[in-house]
Amino acid sequence: MLVSATFLSASALYAVAGALYLVFAARGAERVARWATRCLGVAVAAHVAFVALDYATGGHHPTDDIRQMLATTSLLVAIGYLAALRRHRLAVLGAFITPVTLLLLLGAGFHRDVARVPEPVRSALLPVHIGVNILGVVAFALAFAVALAYVIQERLLRRKQLGGLFQRLPPLDELDSLGLRLVTIGFPLLTVGIVTGAVVAARLGVGEVGLTPSRLTAMLAWACFGAVLGLRALAGFRGRRAAIGTMLGFACAVLVLVGYVLRAEAS
Amino acid sequence: MSSRDIVVIGLSHRTAPLALRERLAVPAAELGADLRGLLATGALDETVVISTCNRVEVYLAARDARAGAGAARAWLASRAVATSLEGHLYERAGGDAVQHAFRVASSLDSMVVGEPQILGQVKEAFGAAEAAGTTGTLLSRCFQRAFAVAKRVRSETAIAAGAVSVSSVACELAAKVFGRLEGRRVLLVGAGEMAEAAARHLHGAGARIVVANRSLERAEALAREHGGEARTLDQLQAELILADVVISSTASPGFVITREAMQAVVKARRHRLMLLVDIAVPRDIDPRVGDLENVFLYDVDHLESVSRGAADARRREAESAERIVHEEVAEFELWRKSLALTPTIVALRARFREIVVAELARTVPRLQGLGDEDRKTLDRMADAIVNKLLHQPLTALKKDAESEGSAQLLDAAQQLFALQPAEPADRSAADAPAEVEAAAPAIAEGKR
Repeated sequence: MLVSATFLSASALYAVAGALYLVFAARGAERVARWATRCLGVAVAAHVAFVALDYATGGHHPTDDIRQMLATTSLLVAIGYLAALRRHRLAVLGAFITPVTLLLLLGAGFHRDVARVPEPVRSALLPVHIGVNILGVVAFALAFAVALAYVIQERLLRRKQLGGLFQRLPPLDELDSLGLRLVTIGFPLLTVGIVTGAVVAARLGVGEVGLTPSRLTAMLAWACFGAVLGLRALAGFRGRRAAIGTMLGFACAVLVLVGYVLRAEAS
Repeated sequence: MSSRDIVVIGLSHRTAPLALRERLAVPAAELGADLRGLLATGALDETVVISTCNRVEVYLAARDARAGAGAARAWLASRAVATSLEGHLYERAGGDAVQHAFRVASSLDSMVVGEPQILGQVKEAFGAAEAAGTTGTLLSRCFQRAFAVAKRVRSETAIAAGAVSVSSVACELAAKVFGRLEGRRVLLVGAGEMAEAAARHLHGAGARIVVANRSLERAEALAREHGGEARTLDQLQAELILADVVISSTASPGFVITREAMQAVVKARRHRLMLLVDIAVPRDIDPRVGDLENVFLYDVDHLESVSRGAADARRREAESAERIVHEEVAEFELWRKSLALTPTIVALRARFREIVVAELARTVPRLQGLGDEDRKTLDRMADAIVNKLLHQPLTALKKDAESEGSAQLLDAAQQLFALQPAEPADRSAADAPAEVEAAAPAIAEGKR
């Protein structure tokens, strides 16, 4: 009962915070942005309570089942955003990040009676595999929001539309370097995630053999982020192309997650 | 007793040419002596002089507004020397003068509506008058409220949003592309006036300036002004690779920066973001340069449409700001009228109370067997009679003071009861409202 109450409160508060951030993006009243952030702060508190109570009642931790994994990922995205807000003028990004957080949390909500990871699949490497993937997804979710803001801001600047939204979004260069930093953090985590996943699967001989859709999308995500970083280092590629690469990479990462969720559902 | 009035008399960019404004402007070092000189005429009780490049105004508080304005006019005429001020001076009194002060501080009367400097200049002018000892209750309150109104206008409206000159738009654009401009490299191609204005803005924001010009001598002169470096146009390609912001304003009839040259530049600078501002007519930069990845090109038409948009937006915001000023002026006028009313209320209550106390002192000793409690009851009864007697007159006085026009009942009350209210100018601004509150219970109690 209490678990459901905290889940519903967190979801409702995320929805309200997201709506307030949208109003801020459209209208620009700083007061609305402040209320949105306060609301997001309370949502995070409710979310922490939900994760803790869920763990206390079910005994599942994030590396145990998909439900806890999604809930923790979404919580870390919100916390990461709040931390970034302290250093950068990124209130408009709340309009993009809060919905991502809410969707991940709702994904956790739809898997109430999920089975734990089966015993044979468990190994010492599994928590590492899931842990680094969670952190990677968090970094990429934030990088996605930053990249989306970049693409919008760049388009407004190119079209000479220097009105409200343009004024509220952070400077292009700041978005570009913040996006790069987040991808630089996420990429090694994703690499470790893919390698440990392959090792776990190979050692236990579980799952399908070969290039499954989930593995393919994971490799595609890796290739996108690798290209963003590699082309930057080699040819100095940055700006809109890097932002689009980041967004594509995150889309692939989301597909991997959706694949996991569907498999958990099927099992 | 008649209340003192605020008067403003002066000239501004709306009524006088720059040459005349310059002649009347008061150097900061002389302001204190001039303020004391104005007060020494004896025609006014308080004065503040605002002197900026766009306005010279004397604010004064005087019992006789006409005499006060006359003294201010004479002072302004003495500064104009042989030039006539006929047709250039404006004069406002009472609520209109207060409204003018609030509008000036809120930048609603500025040449560029919403510009932020004027508030600082008004604060400085008031500070100088305070230091010279020429402010009192009325002008202190008026200017303190003007500062609060300006703050309210700034926070409740978007009057200061958006850049309104071509050079400030260029600077704002650079800030939206690069964030902080400290250490960013700004290349001026050519050294036109508009480029210079933009360079001033960008240098002020911490950017490093490089001037490339056909004549190295002119480039060096401009570079020196902004602590920058000078180059000839032969070094343009190499400088484009290093620059973050380029402002071009040569008199060249053809393109100085072509698309082909920029393609090579973009590659050489490894696609770092670049803002190009072309303020030359005819244009210096091939418009197709704007299609290159990570290169943003703005020409003078783009900049002007942005600044026009901002100016229009400011004008719309000014309407909301005028509403705020209107509200605040009404509130100030209520306070000013209460300033004249309060001493009369206090004196009237004191007179009634004095009579009652005297009568009680005469009567009570003749009454036999009165205990302490009985005496207290008599005191309370006496107070209640005073309050009930005063309720109707005080309510009428207050209503009269709040109404438009002169407070006739106030003068009548003072004559009828031979009152000599204390001078409001002797009190601090903070005391007056407290006294009004102290007088208020008398009105309320009278209802019982």
